[in-house]
Amino acid sequence: MPTTTASAVCTTVGNNILLRLTSGERDVKLKALRELKNQIIGNRTKKLSFLKLGAVPAVAGILSDAVSAVDVADNDENDRIVKDIIVQSAAVLGSFACGFEAGVRAVLDAGADILIQRGCLVEEMPLLKSYMEVVDAGARSLKMIYQSKMAPKYDFLQEENMEFLLSLLNNESENVSGLGASIISHSCKTSLEQKLLFDAGVLKRLTSLLGGSLIQRDASLESIATIFKNNPEVVSQFVGPDTGRTLSCIIEIVKDRFARTRLLASLCLIVIRNASPCYLQDVGIKTKLINNLLELLDDPGRVGDEASFAFSSLIAEKEDMQKLAFEVNGVDKLYNHLQKGSLHPRRFEGILLALADMCSKLECCRSRCLSLQVLKLVVDALAHDSSDVRSAACMCLRSVSRSIKFIQNLSAGSFMNETIVIPLVRLLDDTSTAVQVAALGAISNIVVDFTTRRSTFIRLGGVKLLVQLSKSMDSTIRLNALRALRNLIFLAEDKCKEEIFMELTASLLASLICDPEPSVQEQALALVRNLVDGRINSVEYIFAEDGIILDAVGRQLRIASKAEIEIQGMYVLGNVATGKESHKEAVMDQLLLRAENKAQSCIIKFLQSNDSRLRTAAVWAVLNLTCSSSPGSSGRLVKLHDAGIVSHVKNMVNDPCLDVKLRVKTALEQFNSFDDSLASTSCLQFLTVRAVGELSHVVDPSSKEEESIANYFRFSMKKNKKKKSTRTVKFCFDVPADSL
Amino acid sequence: MPVRVAESSAPSQVSGAHSEESSPPICSLLTVGQAFSGTQNVSNLQKEEAWRVNVRIQGCDLEHGYLCGTMEALNVPMADTPVVTFWEGEIVDAKNYTFYTGKWEATPEDDIRHWTKFPSFAPLLSRVEADGGKSLDLSNYPYIFMRWKEQYFVNVGTDCGLTIAGFYYVCFSCSDGSINGFYYDPNSSPFQKLELKCANEGRSGFSFSSYELQ
Repeated sequence: MPTTTASAVCTTVGNNILLRLTSGERDVKLKALRELKNQIIGNRTKKLSFLKLGAVPAVAGILSDAVSAVDVADNDENDRIVKDIIVQSAAVLGSFACGFEAGVRAVLDAGADILIQRGCLVEEMPLLKSYMEVVDAGARSLKMIYQSKMAPKYDFLQEENMEFLLSLLNNESENVSGLGASIISHSCKTSLEQKLLFDAGVLKRLTSLLGGSLIQRDASLESIATIFKNNPEVVSQFVGPDTGRTLSCIIEIVKDRFARTRLLASLCLIVIRNASPCYLQDVGIKTKLINNLLELLDDPGRVGDEASFAFSSLIAEKEDMQKLAFEVNGVDKLYNHLQKGSLHPRRFEGILLALADMCSKLECCRSRCLSLQVLKLVVDALAHDSSDVRSAACMCLRSVSRSIKFIQNLSAGSFMNETIVIPLVRLLDDTSTAVQVAALGAISNIVVDFTTRRSTFIRLGGVKLLVQLSKSMDSTIRLNALRALRNLIFLAEDKCKEEIFMELTASLLASLICDPEPSVQEQALALVRNLVDGRINSVEYIFAEDGIILDAVGRQLRIASKAEIEIQGMYVLGNVATGKESHKEAVMDQLLLRAENKAQSCIIKFLQSNDSRLRTAAVWAVLNLTCSSSPGSSGRLVKLHDAGIVSHVKNMVNDPCLDVKLRVKTALEQFNSFDDSLASTSCLQFLTVRAVGELSHVVDPSSKEEESIANYFRFSMKKNKKKKSTRTVKFCFDVPADSL
Repeated sequence: MPVRVAESSAPSQVSGAHSEESSPPICSLLTVGQAFSGTQNVSNLQKEEAWRVNVRIQGCDLEHGYLCGTMEALNVPMADTPVVTFWEGEIVDAKNYTFYTGKWEATPEDDIRHWTKFPSFAPLLSRVEADGGKSLDLSNYPYIFMRWKEQYFVNVGTDCGLTIAGFYYVCFSCSDGSINGFYYDPNSSPFQKLELKCANEGRSGFSFSSYELQ
């Protein structure tokens, strides 16, 4: 016997209710509203089906009519029914918006938010006593709308809006004051808005609400956190006789019996602490916060899901907090939650990120993860359905492997290989860009490996994928792919380097060196630096395809203005300068090429840099070019001198940086070793000069002296017309003095 | 370097006493990737012996006074292949570590006895005896003092007949990258010397590479 389906029954009932909503009789309309409210409350499926039937615009229409019909001079009975209709229609609309984004959208599209605000609050609030129910219903509904991200932005800059907000906050009703607080939590985003609200004195009222009902307390905590978030100025202005009281009040609430309240209180304190670290420094409070959040993880609902995110914001980037958390077994507790399995994706993500933060700086946390075998669970999460979870798992792996000691221990065990590499390589192809970037981060750490196990990564096609990603339109992906390649090439064996280079190609490398993004340029140069290090034949890579890579390096050095790029570029040239004579000469050619409108070689600018790392790199290049064991060094020294480079190096003899000073000392000794070989030509007398100068010296043009000088110096000859036998010779070096 | 187990006839001396590369290195010759080569004297009363040694720096975390790398011993008589170990270093920076070891069976007297074998330690002695060197500013001193402790064998088993129970007192010269060290192990011959020079591995000059842990 065919019977009607459940959904068909639903539709029939639904249509029936909607029909009665259009009734001219208020009683019928009111009854239909109540039935509708009861149908949809807490029932997402019913909300959706009524939505499709057009319930929201219908109810919004009813509300609008009812508000217009309000007439205090009319009889009490009508008044009561109209008021009830307003209350029920507001409740229905609020219910549609509660935790149901499609409902929020429909309510906003119908303009119901403005309707409720105007109808229930703006107009009715002055008539508080009789219309408290209306005001309350309106406030409750609006609060639900404002819990959604889609709710309209409240404009605090409008004076009347601020006044209205203050009137909400000052209202006795917990729903109304709660609405005021919700509006702040939802809409206050900028530091200007935070300041405006602070200056309007909302904090005083919010603080008093901390002692109110549960709804008021929770709403107030959220709002206080919103006003202080990332705003040290507002927090510092908070200093006053009231501060201690408010802070103590919130600290007490951390022990509240309701989990959500404990979470909100903790978040509030974290926000204050992060904005202005001078507050809440006491170890006791810090430990209390940590323990509170770790306990809140036990809550099975949304509070437990969010607790780990709060924990992360408490400890992120703060080694002292991470240490405290470690001491109360934070790693173990997070691991215990991970082990439970079948976690809600939001909770899973939060715990992974919390572990990532725990392991971001401390070796003890990483070791604990290793010994607890946390990594196995983290690696499993790399294949999770949720991209947020996959991303969080990658971040956890990246964090844990941010330590050469850890990586070494990984390599010493056998975990390193396929277990961890395979799923990570797979994620390089993920549909989500965020996951790809996170995977690249983890990979770039784990490929810093000093055994032959890098070949596992290459064998699994990792290099091909990295190279592909280095051509991405997304600069973040290009950057992170290059980081991974750079680390992969560090101290790599010849065969590994060759495979990588063949995949990359000289032309791609050259174009990455000239990438529009400076950070990409930097990584490309760092990659080349590693590429040409190692066995001496590695230097040849930079000369592939007619030396386009070397040309690109030289070009970047001449135009770059960022120290990090200049440092990497100088080390590339410095490394190449440790090769054969032809390599050194090629470096010289690059260094002596002038940039447009520049009178001097770029290396002079680097030698004078404020950044000691750059000065060091530049001196190393000079050192390598004038290495005493190389036959062409003396010739290169002359050219460097003529370019003014040698004198700049000499001026650095008292450099404030020890490393630079020591390299300069070695350089000077090296320069002088060439001068020492000159000193054997004893027929000449020299003056010691500190700078380029001119010396009149009588030289017998027929003697061999000039010839021998010319072998070591370039000099300009000016014939003195008056004394034909005298030539003015420019001496360009510090040379040992014989006599003056 | 691993030494032979319990072969020494010298009386055992029992008594009581990371990348991340955010700040510039103290010395560019003590950075990741740098190689050093030289010898380790492993002589005892019975015979003179020295092993050729290669060291490479793999990790450097100045903020935490941490260093690590590998050590490879060649021509080890009882081994078929070179023996490679992984070591970790403590940099004496008066912040993370002082001149006093405080572990590994090394007493303060052992510490002073070893550090004073480095000529470059002489100017620091009085301050170290006073407070372990905590008040010293070593950031501009052209020598870096470290302790290197081998953690495990990389390519051989622990039954290879060699021990890595002790540790090295190390002095590194910032100007030329030379390394001197003395091995300390109560059960081995005292003052076995490690002497290394910065190796440029066939290049004319010094080449530098780097990595960055995210």
